[in-house]
Amino acid sequence: MTAISNNNIARAIYLAFKDKSHADQPVFLKNVVNFLARKRLLSKAPDILERLNKIINEDKGVVTAKVWSPEKLSEATNKEIAQILARRYSGKEIDLEESPDEKLIGGYKIEVNDEVIDLTIKNRIAKLQEYLIKN
Amino acid sequence: MSTNHIVENLKREIENFSVQIKVEKVGKVLELFDGIAKVSGLSDIKSSEMVTFPNGETGVALNLEEDAVGVIILGSFDKIKEGDEVKATGRILEIPVSDNILGRAINAIGVPIDGKGAIKAGKDGLKTYPIEKVAPGVITRLSVDQPVATGIKVIDAIIPVGRGQRELIIGDRQTGKTAIAVDAILNQKGQNMICVYVSIGQKDSKLRKIEARLEEGGAMEYTVIVSAGASEAASLAYIAPYTGVSVAEYFMDQGKDVLIIYDDLSKHAVAYREISLLLRRPPGREAYPGDVFYLHSRLLERACRRNEKYGGGSITAFPIIETQAGDISAYIPTNVISITDGQIFLETDLFYKGIRPAVNVGSSVSRVGATAQIKAMKKVAGTLKLDLAQFRELEAFSQFGSDLDENTKRQLERGKRAVEVLKQLQYAPVKTEHQVVTLYALTKGFMDDIAIEKIKEFEAGLTEYSERNAKVFYKQIAEKKMWDDKGEEELKKVIADFKNTFK
Repeated sequence: MTAISNNNIARAIYLAFKDKSHADQPVFLKNVVNFLARKRLLSKAPDILERLNKIINEDKGVVTAKVWSPEKLSEATNKEIAQILARRYSGKEIDLEESPDEKLIGGYKIEVNDEVIDLTIKNRIAKLQEYLIKN
Repeated sequence: MSTNHIVENLKREIENFSVQIKVEKVGKVLELFDGIAKVSGLSDIKSSEMVTFPNGETGVALNLEEDAVGVIILGSFDKIKEGDEVKATGRILEIPVSDNILGRAINAIGVPIDGKGAIKAGKDGLKTYPIEKVAPGVITRLSVDQPVATGIKVIDAIIPVGRGQRELIIGDRQTGKTAIAVDAILNQKGQNMICVYVSIGQKDSKLRKIEARLEEGGAMEYTVIVSAGASEAASLAYIAPYTGVSVAEYFMDQGKDVLIIYDDLSKHAVAYREISLLLRRPPGREAYPGDVFYLHSRLLERACRRNEKYGGGSITAFPIIETQAGDISAYIPTNVISITDGQIFLETDLFYKGIRPAVNVGSSVSRVGATAQIKAMKKVAGTLKLDLAQFRELEAFSQFGSDLDENTKRQLERGKRAVEVLKQLQYAPVKTEHQVVTLYALTKGFMDDIAIEKIKEFEAGLTEYSERNAKVFYKQIAEKKMWDDKGEEELKKVIADFKNTFK
């Protein structure tokens, strides 16, 4: 049993859409919606859209990163993070999304896709605790 | 140690401490049910890699799907929430081991459960062993030819077990399967053997009883208990035998001989079935998943005897299987019978007839067999086997009438005495040399004119008397593992002398 996953559908839509001319695009989009309705997949549309977004970003070299920190980061830090991420993920465009988190005490934590770089004080303290128990 | 001293120490430790922040792979809990978590993200995760949950619980990635990972949670899962961050560790599931693990009771992930504190580093330091490992290959192995003395007459004489063998103990509930295993552990004192007792899905009260018995017999000095109790998650029962064999491998790697008991693999298969069904793997026969054979074969294949070039040492395995109403043709029993090198078959009928250990000598075999017996035992056991086989055949006949010829009558009487001699109380292991003397007296016909009710008394008296008076014979058994004419003459005389004094 190999069910077609939402990821497969999103990729298929993207690949088909890329080749269409400007004039054909509205018709194609209508066809996509019809297809989803016919296959009873409309309930999965939000997930498919999210995946479609990811695929487009990947193709265009856009890296979305989430940054958590207890206080707002300075322009300079943001720029530095963007530079490091651009190098690490060979992305052309870095999309930083900042959110505050008081519990981190200090430093910041960056999340890209499923990778995390945790430079917070909270993480350091946890590591210290682990170290002191073990030794 | 004064408070200041502790503070100083702590300060120094903290100063020395440096964090290495690495990029970590994380995922989020999507779904959580019955000890299984579906986790998103975690790309590049390996199969059976450890993951950690925010509350400190560990899990193992078992199902790697396109956009989710099926993780079994090792421990309690009531504090894990949907959306929790799951971190990959990059390490395959492993347990800490050191020489100090002897005499301890640990759970399936290597955490002590006996309240004696953490397992400290031994003289070789604290090592970690992965719980899943490929079994030693053909070139590294040696054939089995060293005996494991279980101290149980019927096993040592008729179904001998060698170091590196896998001998299945199979039978219904309440037929004395665990008793045989515990007796075998108790008898390993001074035999240069490390024992590992893996308890899978057993009642904690039963385990406590076994531990107390081992402690009492001084067996805990060379024994490790690995336990996944009935109240713990199925995931722990699933990994417990692998944990046990990893502990055994740690000692084998030091060139030691190890005896491991899996009590029992039926519950292990049930735990794995539970996990598999929750992970939505397709069920097969008796609803077990398709890889239930591999589940046991890869475990039991790790029992082996290694040659000196590859470090020596051996792992002897006693897996236990509980049958339902004597049905040995069910799925799991047939699987494990085909994997192991023989089975000890216990029967309820025999048990209630008073024949204990309730071993069915006809259906029990040891495929490695006599190569793992000392020569003296081989000699007496050969005749014993024949006596018993003839007895079983004639027993059915004898019920029809009493006019049997002399020869048949004699064989019947001999058989009855053989059965009586092979009976043995629990926790009463018999030394090999004593077994040889008793069986010698039986097979040479010295017991034929002793009343059946008096056999046990005769046996006890004879072992004591012969040990005092047949010194040459005992010395020969201890040193050369076989008697010569001089020893045999002496023993014959001693037995005759004892018979004269016995009434």
